[in-house]
Amino acid sequence: MHTRIGLQIVFAVGLVTALGIALLASIALRTSRREMIAQLTRSADLLSETVKRSTEDYMLENRRERIRRQIEAIGREPRIERVRVFNKQGSIVFSSDPSEVGHILDKGAESCFACHAQDRPLEKPPVQERARIFNTGSGHRVLGIVNPIQNQPSCTSAACHAHGVDETVLGVLDVTVSLEEVDRQIAVSRTRIAGLAIGAVAVAGLLLWWLSWRLVSRPVEALAAGTRRVAAGDLTTTIVVNGRNELSELARAFNQMTGRLSEDQRQLTQADKLASVGRLAAGVAHEINNPLTGVLTYASFLLERARDDPERRADLEVIVRETKRCREIVRGLLDFARQTPPRRQPTDLNSVARQAVSVVMNQLQLGHVALTLDLADDVPQVEADPNQMQQVLVNLLLNAADALGERGGTIRLASRRAQVAPRGHEPIHRAACPKGCDLLDPGTRVGALPAIRVLREHRGQEWGFCLDPVYGRFNHASAEVCEEGVVAPAMCPRCRTPLLEPDSACERCGAPTFAIRGPDDEPIRWCTRTGCHFTWWEGRERRGPKPVVEVSIEDNGRGIPRENLPKLFEPFFTTKGVRGTGLGLAITWGIVESHGGTIEVESEQDAGSRFTVRLPLGAEPMRSAG
Amino acid sequence: MTECDVLVIDDEPVVRAAVRRVLEANGLRVATADDAGSALAHPALARCRLVLVDLMLPDRSGIEVLRELAGRRPGLPVVLITGYATPDHVVRARDAGAAAFLAKPFEANELMDCVRRALTRHVAAGEDPA
Repeated sequence: MHTRIGLQIVFAVGLVTALGIALLASIALRTSRREMIAQLTRSADLLSETVKRSTEDYMLENRRERIRRQIEAIGREPRIERVRVFNKQGSIVFSSDPSEVGHILDKGAESCFACHAQDRPLEKPPVQERARIFNTGSGHRVLGIVNPIQNQPSCTSAACHAHGVDETVLGVLDVTVSLEEVDRQIAVSRTRIAGLAIGAVAVAGLLLWWLSWRLVSRPVEALAAGTRRVAAGDLTTTIVVNGRNELSELARAFNQMTGRLSEDQRQLTQADKLASVGRLAAGVAHEINNPLTGVLTYASFLLERARDDPERRADLEVIVRETKRCREIVRGLLDFARQTPPRRQPTDLNSVARQAVSVVMNQLQLGHVALTLDLADDVPQVEADPNQMQQVLVNLLLNAADALGERGGTIRLASRRAQVAPRGHEPIHRAACPKGCDLLDPGTRVGALPAIRVLREHRGQEWGFCLDPVYGRFNHASAEVCEEGVVAPAMCPRCRTPLLEPDSACERCGAPTFAIRGPDDEPIRWCTRTGCHFTWWEGRERRGPKPVVEVSIEDNGRGIPRENLPKLFEPFFTTKGVRGTGLGLAITWGIVESHGGTIEVESEQDAGSRFTVRLPLGAEPMRSAG
Repeated sequence: MTECDVLVIDDEPVVRAAVRRVLEANGLRVATADDAGSALAHPALARCRLVLVDLMLPDRSGIEVLRELAGRRPGLPVVLITGYATPDHVVRARDAGAAAFLAKPFEANELMDCVRRALTRHVAAGEDPA
């Protein structure tokens, strides 16, 4: 198991912090101890000076008994360990401890060391040098301070005449104070500082851990999880890393990479599917055409020779006609695989519809299907390939019959001329960003049309969004990543050019709008607010409703599950198992599309479906011949 | 040696049989071969007036057979038949000198029309060996 990067950082920084705090604490402790000792030294010096002054008069008057009592009284103070006076020879003259009076101290003893360090007594060194700290036998430390008693004119002129004029130092006053209290205070403050230091290290460590979790571990974990998902093949992965730093930059780059990868993969899959269709069609054409040649050649040969036998002739005609239909289906497959343009001519869709019905009639009767024809008389001719259109209607009729199943039902085939409003019907066949990048995504389809892919952004979070390519419809191929109602601007997924329109406002909610360049470079606008259904295609709205011929095929069969609707026209999508190739509706859609028409499907589960094919009328529609 | 008007080369028995039936009913003598190798070695090849060859044979392509025949019997009309004709195939067949291109499946009268037209052109060219 690897060590987490956050933990490693916490350990490293925590160690440095702990060392730093320990160093600072020890410096603070030392300084405070030095300060306390210095203060105590000064106060001890002051005390010794006070003792000297207070005994001065007695000394001049040589009242030794009073001096002794004074010193003993001072020595009884609890903080004062010992007070004593030496004469020049080192003999203890007075002491708060009467037992040591008369003892002689060596000049190397602690009390003497300050002045006699070089065996040459100094007259009065500074206070720090006169002080010394040492341990007594009683187990605690003491501070001793010596104070030389200097010769003064009053001493030499005093009544006792004890000292000569040439003497400089007459003796030494040695005061020793206990350090017990001070040492206790130092110990307390050491404990306190150590406690504070440990607390500070703990708090700093926690803070560091939290920061590293937020800034490093969590995003790194998100990146690692995202990478694992991509490795597992999920290219829809989007990593969300907030903030603006290297890791969020990495996440953004990662998202861009997976976006491109999935786009490429989708296109490859689509290309692969189409290539498979092509291969399949070629194989089918080759294999099926040979047996068909046998059937068609013999049947047509027999038909030629049966001129005088109308009964046999009618039967043979069916064989020839149906075999020729097979031939057309195979050619249709090849046409789909090769995307051949329709051979257009003025076509009466009503007669195409009647032919289509006669072609499928036998199958419809077998399936207990009641077929209603509802063809309007005023349907104008359209520019279309009658064979391809017949194939479309045959496919849709067979599809409807399949939806009815064993129980049968009704199919209604209707035609009429109609005006179609652009909103909700007009497909957007071209979509580009301001720099010209193609925004249509053939790998993501709504119905059968490639969706319009944009990149949306909200608070540093980005996600690919596939807009419904039918103007005014909102069956977007992607779910909103954000909750509804947030303003999420859009940009080009390839060059990241913002699609936001300057100074624009949604007519419904007032949020800014974004726009793409649609067909003929006309802008098509959407609201940036998620969930807001505002869209506007100025150019198309101005041209108004479009005249079309509409052929609809309606059944009361089992209907199409909602989740299948977007995939319905994809090649190889089938719900019929081995009975279907998944090509029927794909071919149908391809033909309608190549005619510049649209095909729309409405379906309700267990209630039926309606497929509506709309072919545009030219500027001057040709009237139907009859 | 068997007299022969049309040599039919196709790997599919039902196609050979169907074509033979229609042509013979129309008074033409027919020989068949099921691949390019046996066709090019067929004794009827020296005397026939027309060759129908499938574009995709097991051993060679119909266009290769067409080129071979153009060297051996210049002016002999060759009709290519195929179940899978791309525009590219049609162009290549025409460039190689095919008399016609017949897409499978075909009706009997389509076949006869095509054969008659090819034979007429052959006769018009004045190279009828018969």
